[in-house]
Amino acid sequence: MEVDTVDTPLARVSQPNNGQLVLKKPRTDFKSKSELVKARRQREAHKAYGRGRGIDTRGVRDKKLRRNLTSLENKYKEATYKAKEAEILLENTAGFLEPETELERTYKVRQDDIQQNVAIEVAQKGFELKLKDLGPYVCEYSRNGRDLILAGRKGHVATMDWREGKLGCELQLGETIRDARFLHNNQFFAVAQKKYVYIYDAQGVELHCLKKHVEVSHMQFLPYHFLLATLGINGSLKYQDTSTGQIVSEISTKQGTPVSLAQNPYNAILHVGQQNGTVTLWSPNSSEPLVKLLAHRGPVRALDVDREGRYMVSAGQDNKMCIWDIRNFKEAVSSYFTRSPASSIAISDTGLTAVGWNTHTTVWRGLFDKNKPVQEKVQSPYMTWGGEGHKVERVRWCPYEDVLGISHAEGFSSMIVPGAGEPNYDALEVNPFETKKQRQEGEVKALLNKLKPEMIALDPNFIGALDLRSEKQRQADRDLDAAPVDVVEELKKKARGKNTALKKYLRKQKKKNIVDEKRVRVEEMIKEMQEKKDEKFKDRQEALGPSLARFARKD
Amino acid sequence: MAGRQSHGRPVLAGASGKKGGKSQPNNSNKTQKSFPKSRSKSHSTALNAFALAAEELGPEKRQKGVRYRDLDEQPDKPSKKRAHDEDDEDDFDDEEDEEEEAPQRKKAKKDEFEGFSDAGAGSDDSEEWHVGVGSGDEDSELDSDEAFGESDEEKFAGYSFGGSSKKGKKNKKRGEESEGDEEDDSDLESLGSDAIDLATALDQYSSSEDEEGEGESGSEEEDDEESTDGDDESSEDDEEDEEKMSGLKKMISAFGGEDDEEDEQTQGTGKAKLSLADLGLAGIKDEHIKKSIKLMNKEEKGDKKTRLDVPLAKPLQDRNLRSAAYAKTNETLDRWIDTVKSNRRADHLIFPLAQNAQDKGLDAGELMPVNQKTSGTELENAILSIMEESGLGPSASKEKKNEGGLTDEAERLSKAEQKEIARQRRRERELHSREMVRQKRIKKIKSKAYRRIHRKELLKDEQAAHDERVEAGEIDSEEERELQDRRRAEERMGTRHRESKWAKLGKKAGRAVWDEDFRAGLTDMARRKEELRRRVEGRRGSDDEGSDVSMGSDDEGGKKKLLSELERAAAYDGDDEPKSGLMAMRFMQRGEEIRRKENDELVAQIRRELDSDAEVSEEEMDIGRRQYGMGKPTVKLPADAAKAKKKASKSSEQVIFKDDVEMTEEPSRKQAVVESEPVGSNPNAPGGWSRVSQEGRESKKAASKAPNQELDLSNAAMPATKFSKPKSKTQTAEADDGNETDDSDAIHLPMAIRDQKLINRAFAGEDVHLEFRKEKAEIAEEDDDKEIDNTLPGWGSWVGDGVSAREQRRHKGRFVTKVEGVKKTSRKDYKLKDAIVSERRVKKNDTYLATSLPHPFESQQQYERSLRLPVGPEWQTKETFQGATKPRVIIKQGLIAPMSKPMV
Repeated sequence: MEVDTVDTPLARVSQPNNGQLVLKKPRTDFKSKSELVKARRQREAHKAYGRGRGIDTRGVRDKKLRRNLTSLENKYKEATYKAKEAEILLENTAGFLEPETELERTYKVRQDDIQQNVAIEVAQKGFELKLKDLGPYVCEYSRNGRDLILAGRKGHVATMDWREGKLGCELQLGETIRDARFLHNNQFFAVAQKKYVYIYDAQGVELHCLKKHVEVSHMQFLPYHFLLATLGINGSLKYQDTSTGQIVSEISTKQGTPVSLAQNPYNAILHVGQQNGTVTLWSPNSSEPLVKLLAHRGPVRALDVDREGRYMVSAGQDNKMCIWDIRNFKEAVSSYFTRSPASSIAISDTGLTAVGWNTHTTVWRGLFDKNKPVQEKVQSPYMTWGGEGHKVERVRWCPYEDVLGISHAEGFSSMIVPGAGEPNYDALEVNPFETKKQRQEGEVKALLNKLKPEMIALDPNFIGALDLRSEKQRQADRDLDAAPVDVVEELKKKARGKNTALKKYLRKQKKKNIVDEKRVRVEEMIKEMQEKKDEKFKDRQEALGPSLARFARKD
Repeated sequence: MAGRQSHGRPVLAGASGKKGGKSQPNNSNKTQKSFPKSRSKSHSTALNAFALAAEELGPEKRQKGVRYRDLDEQPDKPSKKRAHDEDDEDDFDDEEDEEEEAPQRKKAKKDEFEGFSDAGAGSDDSEEWHVGVGSGDEDSELDSDEAFGESDEEKFAGYSFGGSSKKGKKNKKRGEESEGDEEDDSDLESLGSDAIDLATALDQYSSSEDEEGEGESGSEEEDDEESTDGDDESSEDDEEDEEKMSGLKKMISAFGGEDDEEDEQTQGTGKAKLSLADLGLAGIKDEHIKKSIKLMNKEEKGDKKTRLDVPLAKPLQDRNLRSAAYAKTNETLDRWIDTVKSNRRADHLIFPLAQNAQDKGLDAGELMPVNQKTSGTELENAILSIMEESGLGPSASKEKKNEGGLTDEAERLSKAEQKEIARQRRRERELHSREMVRQKRIKKIKSKAYRRIHRKELLKDEQAAHDERVEAGEIDSEEERELQDRRRAEERMGTRHRESKWAKLGKKAGRAVWDEDFRAGLTDMARRKEELRRRVEGRRGSDDEGSDVSMGSDDEGGKKKLLSELERAAAYDGDDEPKSGLMAMRFMQRGEEIRRKENDELVAQIRRELDSDAEVSEEEMDIGRRQYGMGKPTVKLPADAAKAKKKASKSSEQVIFKDDVEMTEEPSRKQAVVESEPVGSNPNAPGGWSRVSQEGRESKKAASKAPNQELDLSNAAMPATKFSKPKSKTQTAEADDGNETDDSDAIHLPMAIRDQKLINRAFAGEDVHLEFRKEKAEIAEEDDDKEIDNTLPGWGSWVGDGVSAREQRRHKGRFVTKVEGVKKTSRKDYKLKDAIVSERRVKKNDTYLATSLPHPFESQQQYERSLRLPVGPEWQTKETFQGATKPRVIIKQGLIAPMSKPMV
C-alpha cells in the first residue's frame, strides 16, 4: 500500500545549541529561475499525480533494459507533468464560506442567509420535503447526483430528479424498509425490505426478489464491480453480482448484529461497524476480516471513508468521533465528541464531513488534510443544521453539488453547503448532465470495464505484482493429494441431452487437427461406445429374427 | 603487344622454373637458387663449373655482393613504394566517386589496378610478399604458396640480371630455331659466351658487380616507375585495360595447359639474364666502349620499360578484390548505423519519411513582414509602394512613433506634474512596504533579544570575574549596594511611586487623560525611575547605552530598550497617511492586513518572551526573601522556578489581552524588581527566547544538581519538567480555547466534554480494549511459527504403567515438524495499538499475481514500476494517452520511397 510522505523543505535546517542555523543540504548548484520554476512544478506534479518513487536506472546492467526503463521513467514524468498542466482546464473551483473577521463564525450562517444571498438557481437547491407520516426516511443519491431516492421506514419509496422536482416513481410497499439505494445508474434501485431485497426499475416495476439476502439492514453498491453488498441483521455479508445475478460470496461476520456499513471508494473494501466498538474491513475474497480496528467503546454508529481512501471517520455510541488514517490503521485524531451518538456520517468530495446526530447535523471542514503531516484538531464546525426537532436519520452528500441531503423523521431536507461538491466532474467517469444515449453508452462501457470480484484487495494496485512466495510455500499450498483430473469423466459430467459433451468435444477438436492425449482418449472412448452400440444392435436384430431384423432399433 | 608478351612470359617462366626446382628447398638466398635452376637441363656442366667457382670463391663474397646490392637498393624502396601507394589511394578515391554510376566498369578497372599494384609491391621485395601471404587466408594457403614460388623466382630472375623480355624471346628462338629475327645475334652471343662468361665473371668479379649493382638499382627504379605509369595509364584509358584483361586471360589459359612451351621458355629466361654482363664488356676500360656499353644498358632498360609487372593469379586477384569490395561495402553500410539505431529507438516512425516528403525544402515557418529590404519580387515592391502611399507601410509606423515621442516631450515640459507623479509612486511604494519595514524592525528586535540570551554565558563569566574582584576586596560591593538600596527605598516610599496609592487611584480614575498635574507626576516618576536605574547599573553599564550589541551586558536595561523599541515598532502605523490608489485596492489592503497581523503576533510573542523572564524574577521577589549579591544556588530552586514559570505563563496570557497602557507599565515594574537584583546573579532566570529549550536545560541543571544537595530535589524537579510540556505546546491555543468556550453558544457544544464522566461510567462494564488485546494476542499466537509433535506413543518406546517419567520425556519430541508462520515481530500490526491485520494470504487474489519475474527485468521493483502508470484515458491527459497508444510505425497511404540518405 502506498504511503504518501510529506514534502520536506528543500534545505533542512537544524538548530544546534549555540543558536546558529546549520544547513544540512545547502544549495550549491546555481540554476536559472526558469529551471527552478520548472523543477518546482515538476515536484508539485509528482506530488499530485505521481505514482510512487521512480527506480534508479543507473544500476541496471542490461543496456536495453536500462534504456527502456529510462524512457519509461521519462514518460511517467512527462505524464505527471502534463496532468498537472492540464489542471488549467479545470475551470471551476470550490469556494467555502470565509469569515470576514475573527469573531465571525461560519457555523452561525443559517440556510436562510445563504439562500437569500445566492443565485435563484442555487437557492432552489435548498428545499424541504415534508413527509410526516411514513416514518424516518433514508435517502441516497445516484452516482451522478441527479436522482434521489427516499425510502420511509413504513414502506414509502420515491425516486425523483430532485433538481427539476420531477418524480420518477413512487411506491407504497406496505412493509418495513430498512435501506434503499440506486445501482449503477438511476434505472435500477434496490430496496431492503422486511424480509428480502428487491430490485425495481425506474418506473417502479419490481424486477427481482433477492431471496438470498434475508433481513438486510444495510446495503452498498460497488459500481466498478457491479456488486451489491448487503449486510443482514444476523451479520451475514453477501455480495451479489448485479450484472450476472450470481452470488459472489457469502460471509458471516460473526460479531452480532452489525450497526453500520460503509465502502471505501478507493479499494472497494467494505467497512462494517460492529456492536463491540470494532470496525472490520471485508473483501468478498476472504472469510475473515482483513483488518479489525478498535475504534470505540460502544457500538460504531456511523462511519464513512473519504474518496481517496485515506481517512475514515467513525462515530460511536460513546459520543466519540474518531478520524482514522485507514491506510496505516492508525488513529489520526480522536478527541472529537458528539453530544449524542451520531446517527450518520458522510464525507464529501472536498473532504467536508457531515455528522448527523439527534436533531442536528454538523458539517466539519478540515477534519483531515492529506497534506498535513499531523492532523490537527479543528476547533469549531463549518456549518450546522437542525435543532428543529427532526431526528436525523441519514445524511448524504450530493455528488458534484454543494448540497447535503438530510433525511429525517419528518421528510427530507436539502442543505446548501458551499464548497462541498467536486467542482470539476470527469465526464468519462460520471456525467451529471448525461443524456439518455450517454447513459446507455456509459452502461455498456462500464459493463465492459467491469472488474472481477477477485480484484478486490486492500491494495488495489496489487494486480500484476510479483508473487513473492517461495517455491516451497507454493508447493505447500498446492494440494498434492488431489486426484488427477480424468478428462473423459470431466466431459461426461457435462453431458446434456442427446448430443453428448464427448461427441461435441470431438467434433470441435476434429477441425483443429490437434492430436493430443486428451483427444486420443476421447476417441477411444467414443469408439468403445460405438462398439457397444453395434453389439446391442446386433443383439436386437438377432432377437427379432432374420425376417424382422430390418426393423431393429439402431441405438 | 611486345610489352604484353614480356609481361606474360616471365610468369610462365617462373612457373616452369619452379617446376624445375621443386625439389630444392626455399633458401633465403634466392639469387643463388634461381641462377643454377634457370639452366637446369642443357647446361648442367656450366652449372657445375659455376658451382665450383662459387666454392672456390667462397660464399662470403657472393653474399657480400648481395648485401651490397641490398644496401644500394634499400633506401630507395620504401619512399617509392609509398609514392606508389599514394597513387593507389588517389586512384581509389577517383574510382569511389564513379563507382555508383558504373559499378561494372569500375570492377574491371579495379581488377587491373589491384593486380598491378600488388605485382608492383611484390616485385620490390620478397619480404613484402611473404607478409602479404602470411597474413592472408589460410584456406587458400596452397594456391598462394604455389603462386609465390613462381613469382618469387621470377622476380629474382629479373632482379639479378634484368632484361628478361629479350631473353625470353631468345630462348624461344633457340628452342624452335624457326624464327629469324634481329635479336638473333644477341641470342647467339649470350649462348656462346656462357662458359667464357663465367670465367670473366670470376676474373673481374668486383668490377662487374659494381656495375651490375648500379644497373640493377637503376632498373629497379625504372621498373617501379613503369608499373606506376602503367597504373596511371590503366586508370586513364580503357582500351588498354581491355588489352590487359585479355593478357590476363591469356596468362590464365597458359596456366591451364601449355606446359611444354613453358619448359623451353624457362630454359631461355634463365640463360638470357646472364647475357649482357657476361659478354666480357665489363672488364673493358676504354672510355668509348664504356659509353657505348652504358648506352646499350640504357637501351636494354628502355626495352625493359615495356615490360610490366606480373599480374597476380586470378584467384588471388579475386580475393583481393573481394576483400577490398567488402571493406568498401562495410564502409558504406557503416554510414547507416546511426540512422538505423535511432530508428530502432524511436517511439514512432512515420512513413513516408520526412526527407522524401514533397514539401521537403519548403520553409514552413512564419512569414516575416515584408519591407524595402526584403521585398524581392516586383509584386511585393508594388504593394509596398502602394501601402507606403496610403500611409500603411513600415515607415509610417515609425513616424507615428516619433509623434508619440513628441507628445512625451510635451509632457516632460510640465515638470511639476512629473514630479508629482513620481512622488505619488514613491509614496505608494512606501505604503506598500510599510509593513515590511515594520516586520524588519521587529525582526531586528527579535534578533536582539536572541543575542541577549546568548549573551548569558558571557555575563556569567563576567560575574565570576566580578566576584573574584569582590573577594579580593577591590570593590566594596556591600556598601555600595546598601546605599543604592536605600535610595531605591526612598523612591519607593515617595508618593509618586508606581505601586503607590496615588498612582493606582490616578490610573483607576483615568486622571492621565485630563489632569495635567497627574501627567506631570507620571513623567516625573518615570524620570526618577530611569535615573535610579542608571545609578544602579551605572558602574557597569554606563558605556553600553547606545550600542545594540553590548546590550546583553545589562540584561534588564536592554530588555527595556527592546521593549520600548518594540513599542515603537508596534506603534508604527501608517493610518494617518493618505491611502493611495494602489492601497485602496482590496487585495493590497488584505495583504497589508495579513502582514500587519503577522507583525503584531511577532511583537506579542517577543513581548511575552521578554515579560516571562521579568515576571519570573518578579515572582521570585514576591515568593522568597529578597536576594542581594550573587544568587546562591538554593535547594528549592527548581521547584521555585517551576512555580514562577507557572505564574509567568499565566501573566503572559494576561499580557496578550491587556491594553497598551498596561503594556507600557510592564517593563517599568519589572525594572523595579531588577534593581534589587544584580543581573546574571540568578542562575535560574529563564532566557525567554525559546522557553522550551530553556526550561529543559534548567530542569536538567536541576537534576544534575539534585544528588549532592538534597534528596527531595528530584521530586521537586518533576513538576518543572512536567509543566514545561503543556505550556510549551500551546499557550495561546489554550487562551483561544478559553475564549471560544466563553463566547460560542451551545451549537457546537457537542464537542464540549460534558457528560464524559457519565459516558465513561456507562461503558465501564466491558473493557473492550482488554478484550481486543487478548484477541490480538490469540491471533498472533495462531499465526506464529508452530512446532507439531508427531511422536506416536508407543512407537519405538514403551508406554503404559511403569515407564519412568524420564523415559517418557525422552520420547516426547522425537518427531517434530515445524510449520512456518508469521512471527509476532514481523506482523503488520506489531506496532499498531488498535488494529489487527490479517496475515492470511487471500488466495483468490493470487490469480492476478505474476508467478515469476518476466524476462527483461532484473528486479521486482523494475517490473512493478513498469506497470505503475495506468494506460486508460481516464487517468491521463489525452496527449499522453494518444502518445502511449499510437502505433509504432505509421504508414500513410501512397508510395513509400526508401531512405535516400542517412538521417542522422
